[in-house]
Amino acid sequence: MSRPIPLHELGDKEYIDPANQACQGCGGAIVSRLVSKALGEGFVRAEVACCGPAFMNIRAPSIYVEVFEGAGALMTGISRGLKRIGREDVVVMGIIGDGGTVDIGFQGLSAAAERNENILWVCYDNEAYMNTGGQKSGATTLYAATTTTPIGEYSRGKLERRKNVPLLMAMQGAPYVATASVAFPEDLLGKLIHAKGIKGFRYIHVSSPCPTGWGYDPKDTIKVARGMVQSGLWPLYEVSDGILRLNYKPRELKPVREVLKMQGRFRHLNDEEIDRIQREVDTFWRRLVAKDGGEIF
Amino acid sequence: MIEVRFHGRGGQGAVTAVRILASALYLEGKYTQAIPMYGTERRGAPVVAFLRIGESRINERDLVHNPDIVVVLDPLLSRTVPVTEGLKEGGLIVMNFPKPGTEAGIGGRFMLATVDATGIALEALGRPITNTAMLGAFAKASGLVSLESLEKTLLEHWPGRLGEMNLRALRTAYERVTPPVDVSGIQAQEKRPREEIFSKDVSSWRIFKPQLDEDRCVGCRRCYIYCPEVAISMIQGKARVDYSSCKGCGICGEECPTGAISMVQEAL
Ligand SMILES: Cc1ncc(C[n+]2csc(CCOP(=O)(O)OP(=O)(O)O)c2C)c(N)n1
Ligand code: SF4
Ligand code: SF4
Ligand code: SF4
Ligand SMILES: [Mg+2]
Repeated sequence: MSRPIPLHELGDKEYIDPANQACQGCGGAIVSRLVSKALGEGFVRAEVACCGPAFMNIRAPSIYVEVFEGAGALMTGISRGLKRIGREDVVVMGIIGDGGTVDIGFQGLSAAAERNENILWVCYDNEAYMNTGGQKSGATTLYAATTTTPIGEYSRGKLERRKNVPLLMAMQGAPYVATASVAFPEDLLGKLIHAKGIKGFRYIHVSSPCPTGWGYDPKDTIKVARGMVQSGLWPLYEVSDGILRLNYKPRELKPVREVLKMQGRFRHLNDEEIDRIQREVDTFWRRLVAKDGGEIF
Repeated sequence: MIEVRFHGRGGQGAVTAVRILASALYLEGKYTQAIPMYGTERRGAPVVAFLRIGESRINERDLVHNPDIVVVLDPLLSRTVPVTEGLKEGGLIVMNFPKPGTEAGIGGRFMLATVDATGIALEALGRPITNTAMLGAFAKASGLVSLESLEKTLLEHWPGRLGEMNLRALRTAYERVTPPVDVSGIQAQEKRPREEIFSKDVSSWRIFKPQLDEDRCVGCRRCYIYCPEVAISMIQGKARVDYSSCKGCGICGEECPTGAISMVQEAL
């Protein structure tokens, strides 16, 4: 299991160049920086089409492909190539969008997990296809307004619940699976450093709020991310060799209403809709707590 | 035919402004084209949009290269983007700038009208979204469209409270915009070389900047770890901002537990 890294233990050295071309307050840019900080040297990164190229100023060899479903195949290829030349010490890491992970990229992801490829897949989750204007993805929260699930006379936002890909990966038997959030950098850094030391398929899914797509002031990126964790909308947990552990376990969750209402994409929600989200969050949390410290299957 | 180019930043509503203006002109019997420039329109990043106004059917389908009028939605944009490029001699610039046109750093055989659209937007909307204020300024400075048509289109676009707030921005800017001044005698401010535009310096993206009170900084590293631009470093236990890398998102100010960072409006 991972150990949170206190901020004062961090070295000053950066492995990413300052300033990028992402929007002000981009959560993905924070993920990118934390990944570079945790992994330091000795990794290559894979990139597919997404907002990532705007903020991945990471100083590491990189391979980019335009096809955003291709991350599984791309990372497999790099990893196998490195093995062939005897450089299995080099970590193969990809920062991949939620669309490229839970939707079109899922086939390659699931297959790579099945083969237990020696790769570290970091999904930065902004809950839509933001690079192309904010279309909904399988990771979009229920009822959220996106450009393809707008609010209108006959439409109340996204109709479906989000897919739980971290648990799917855990059920496939991946050696290490974790969720994380940009608001909890100590936890995320600890998970990345832990994952770096493991061989085989590793998956870290990071909640990365997007001011542009979610409709809130850029200054509130961390507030929104924190609110999602504190309300149970985005629980922090990890699954190591089939054992689940909750990393953030408050005595009581905050109601989901507050963090939902901070975001333009949920502004239309009525009490009934908020109640439904609250009920689902409560159920999922209860099940997670019941599994805490034990085997997931 | 009259051609207009709008310069702004993602989030300031340049594309919406062009669409509203085209609709308002259509109401007045004009032929119009509103052209958003396709690209990654990230919040804060420079964007352009175009408008054509004709008395008869417009057959052109390309982008506008030699505009008659340029509208600049952001006061700092002209430091890195060549906003007068291709502007016809004697052309009009309507710019969001809180001081007289002769102090905007723009020179050449042009006329320049200025208005403090950021100030007006903050007053009327509470947010620095300057597009509707600039439409008011455009109407007055160019005389090409009536305030009434703009008001009508605007309320159709945003019915309700949002419309009322934008209406206030529109009218205030219409009243406050300066008459166009001749800037042919002004030395144009030097543009930074082009490669610099695409590299590190993002200081012109800011509207607010973080100001640090060193005495209150306890060196907790929160701001340092949350800054999306890696613009903050820790020097001898205190936070320090590298302003050329800071986009002014405000996260550091929001997250500092001791209130050592306040966001202040960028001085011009
Ligand atoms: C096969 C394919 N279809 C469509 C595209 C266009 N495209 C580029 S990025 C993107 C969305 C990516 O969404 P996500 O993975 O969530 O990343 P984000 O943009 O949110 O960062 C799309 C549809 C593409 N590059 N390849
Ligand atoms: S659209 Fe969202 S995820 Fe993409 S760069 Fe902007 S803030 Fe970041
Ligand atoms: S968050 Fe505030 S107290 Fe902490 S290092 Fe930054 S400025 Fe100093
Ligand atoms: S406002 Fe603060 S957090 Fe935002 S880019 Fe500037 S220094 Fe970084
Ligand atoms: Mg996405």
